Amino acid sequence: MKRNFSHVFLISLVLFLSGAVWAQDSVYTNSTGMEFKRIPAGSFVMGKFLPPYPRPSVESGNASSQANGYREGDYKLAEELAKKDAMPGFTATIEKSFYIGRFEVTQGQWKKIMGTNPSVFQGKKVPDDANRHPVERVTWADVQKFLAKLNQLEKGRKYRLPTEAEWEYAARAGATEDIPWSKIRQSAQIGLRSTSIVGQKAPNAWGLYDMLGNVWEWVEDYYNEKIFADSISPKSGSEHVLKGASFTGDVKNATYMTHAAGPGNGWDVGFRVVMETKE
Amino acid sequence: MRTFLLVLLICTVSNTHAQNSIPRGFARIFNEQDLNGWHISRTSHQGTTPDCRVEDGAIVLREHPYGQGGILLSNKKYKNFELYLEARIDSFSNGGIFLRSTESGQAYQIELSEPGGTGSLFGEMLRVSKTADASGRSKVWKPNDWNSFRIRMTGDTPHITLWINEVKMWEVQEPVNDFIAGATKGMIGLQSHWSATYGPNVAEFDMSGSWRPGAAHRFRNIAIRELK
Repeated sequence: MKRNFSHVFLISLVLFLSGAVWAQDSVYTNSTGMEFKRIPAGSFVMGKFLPPYPRPSVESGNASSQANGYREGDYKLAEELAKKDAMPGFTATIEKSFYIGRFEVTQGQWKKIMGTNPSVFQGKKVPDDANRHPVERVTWADVQKFLAKLNQLEKGRKYRLPTEAEWEYAARAGATEDIPWSKIRQSAQIGLRSTSIVGQKAPNAWGLYDMLGNVWEWVEDYYNEKIFADSISPKSGSEHVLKGASFTGDVKNATYMTHAAGPGNGWDVGFRVVMETKE
Repeated sequence: MRTFLLVLLICTVSNTHAQNSIPRGFARIFNEQDLNGWHISRTSHQGTTPDCRVEDGAIVLREHPYGQGGILLSNKKYKNFELYLEARIDSFSNGGIFLRSTESGQAYQIELSEPGGTGSLFGEMLRVSKTADASGRSKVWKPNDWNSFRIRMTGDTPHITLWINEVKMWEVQEPVNDFIAGATKGMIGLQSHWSATYGPNVAEFDMSGSWRPGAAHRFRNIAIRELK
């Protein structure tokens, strides 16, 4: 009995320690209170565009009585255009694991680092604790200043914005197709009149919150003025890419794939941070 | 010689006037040549890469690529103004004239939708307190032809009036300014609606009726009179 007990104890200890080591690897909280989740290296298909097109309803049979107002020939034209414009996408490879913020950077965290709060949705504009709402009305250049200060404070760590590929890979969390509307509504703060406290909706499969909705998120890449990213991002440009849509968005653009760009409205534009792994 | 010049001047002026239906006191905000002074919203849910071009002195909006619409915005923001423009819209394609639009296209909207709700007032990504219908539109509307819109918008709390083909459709005093970040000025926008998602099996209903394939909305003689 005693021997059995010690076995159980040893096994429990090993499990506990391995769990602790794994947990240390998997999540990290810095001195500013920013929580990160480790994302493994991997690859996914980016920019696959296969727009659905309508077919005539079998019941009505008569094109002139279709609810969408399509006339004879319109269905054929829709199919032709949808097939002509379709794109296979390309494989984006994330060579190295990285840590990404489990939440959007909050107003409280911005204040701690920068000593200011540029956000519109604070004070009487929100019904609850604005410090836990995402910071907004930050330009890409403002975010670079935040990151420079954060890197100074947290010695030995390298913080930066995610690349667009890293962001979309983390947002998809293994999903190969774009996100269905019902799932967007579960996970995204959309169709609202202000930002919300971060982390209130369902996380994605990798435990990340508000990847869609709440605030648009800046990424590292310059904008290519196309519907989706290219396999190689432009080396220069006038605007940077925004991902994930905001509380003003809806099921059309609060998706993994949406490839938007600045300046946006300002008051619904924020970001989350990547911390590089020490590999 | 003087008489000849005077006659020539009168002829020129009257001829120009015949082609130019813009009311007196309005300044063009579209130069009929190119899209200088305008830009595409890169954060609209309608799409970020619409086909916007100038054809025969008119701005023409189409979807691009298939299923993706978008919004063309004036670079300049306006607060109190009268906007004049002429629109020719294909049927079964949903668009709109945006007023005091934000960069992502959150705006008071005059609907452009035939057959249907052309001239209605409501919001694009904006809950508008007081909406309106242009119920008298059928008496003046010319299907598949150019129709003029004159829209007057004033006040911190918007007061909006619409005339179609110079016949007053409605006048609305909003009870509050519906813009969530408190904007009292914004851009003029022209919209083509999205009609398909990026991929299959994500949508819960068919949006193909929002923009018939190949449809276009055309706008010409776009001019504004800023008010105090």
